[in-house]
Amino acid sequence: MVEVTNLSKTFDNATEVLKDINLRVRKNEVVAILGPSGTGKSTLLRCLNYLCEPTTGIIRVGDVTVDAKSHTKQQVRALRKQSAMVFQNYNLFKNKTAKENVMEALVTVQGKSRAEAEEIAIRLLRKVGMEERKDFYPSKMSGGQQQRVGIARALAVNPDVLLFDEPTSALDPELVGEVLSTIKQLAEEDSTMILVTHEIRFARNVATRILFMDGGRIAADGTPEEIIDHPENPRLQQFLNFVSK
Amino acid sequence: MNFSWAYFFETLPYIASKLNVTLSLTAISAVFSLLIGLVFALISYYEVKGLHQLLKVWSSFMRGTPAAAQMFFFYYGMANISAIILNMSPVVAVAVIMSLNMGAFVGETIRGSLLSVDEGQREAAMSLGMSGFQMTTRIVIPQAIRVALPPLFNDIINLFKMSSLAFLVGVRDVMGSAKIEGAHTFRFFECYACVMLIYWIFTLCLTAVQKRLEKRCNAIY
Repeated sequence: MVEVTNLSKTFDNATEVLKDINLRVRKNEVVAILGPSGTGKSTLLRCLNYLCEPTTGIIRVGDVTVDAKSHTKQQVRALRKQSAMVFQNYNLFKNKTAKENVMEALVTVQGKSRAEAEEIAIRLLRKVGMEERKDFYPSKMSGGQQQRVGIARALAVNPDVLLFDEPTSALDPELVGEVLSTIKQLAEEDSTMILVTHEIRFARNVATRILFMDGGRIAADGTPEEIIDHPENPRLQQFLNFVSK
Repeated sequence: MNFSWAYFFETLPYIASKLNVTLSLTAISAVFSLLIGLVFALISYYEVKGLHQLLKVWSSFMRGTPAAAQMFFFYYGMANISAIILNMSPVVAVAVIMSLNMGAFVGETIRGSLLSVDEGQREAAMSLGMSGFQMTTRIVIPQAIRVALPPLFNDIINLFKMSSLAFLVGVRDVMGSAKIEGAHTFRFFECYACVMLIYWIFTLCLTAVQKRLEKRCNAIY
């Protein structure tokens, strides 16, 4: 479903954030990416839809392959259509209601009629428990509500893979639960998901596979049992000790 | 010399009758400075190579030199090298300078409002596969307009006041007619009191409109 080959990313100031990453994610896998701050977790995720342009490497999502060396605008757009992203700061369109946020890509990218888009939007908002707020603007919603709309908006384009970039990091503690339970529900429906998170317990419960990133590399890769319950990598042990305290 | 109320009220209607010159100057320059500003803003927003840097210098120059100096430079100075400017009527010359001058300010206003739409929303649009054009027209511009309208209206109020410079090249607008009237009667006190009152009242009206606009812009989302 997702295949990353020899991916590297160097920022302008010559910091190498990602070092030769190779990764394959199969259909229906729920992959959680853990690791200390600044180890390239978000950068890796953002490279998957080219919000962050890799320096070198080949990325395949669904049936679209893009090589950093020779990518075109069309390829990048095609790649982006394979996935959908849920952002840390929700990033809802502020000039659109909850319903219009979900409808937007259906109408503009997929060319669906407004009526059809609206039907899909209402169904998805119901799914994330936001149907009653369908006509609210983002400014009138709590963070948790905005994020659930963000999830509905990502689901709307029917992506091959859902990308979550620290979806609960900006939320007040009491609002984290509602978003996590929405994500859990999706995981149980066999969606393919990759999520960067700091919620270790949540990753343990929801993910089918966990990656531990350290210093721009994937330092450990395994089942939740292997990674969380029986960590072998010393850096990983240190990290888990640190966050569980 | 005493302030003659009788003369004041006698002259007021005459000077006020030139408001049409002032207002048409303002209106025409407003349209052109908006167009110029929009082009400028888009060039700097998209950082069009070459033009973008050139514009920075131009904008800094237009905003950093007095409009009166620009007008003299253009109308009297450049007339030496251009027959078009030499044969230009003063009103047109003033409108050109007002448009160019305010265009630089309007450009900054619009650019700022485009940038006020946060990067996150643009990333969201891109991540959904929307094209740059769709993102700009459906997400960025609708939000930018709301941000830009109140300060743009401010620019128009400034343009209205700037139009009084037209008297410098002999246009008989509100200011120009007061100057001529004063030169005949030597009653400068009353004549310029009329000018100030007329500008002030009209600016108050414009400000009232702006307040309502601002309220409506804030209330949408």
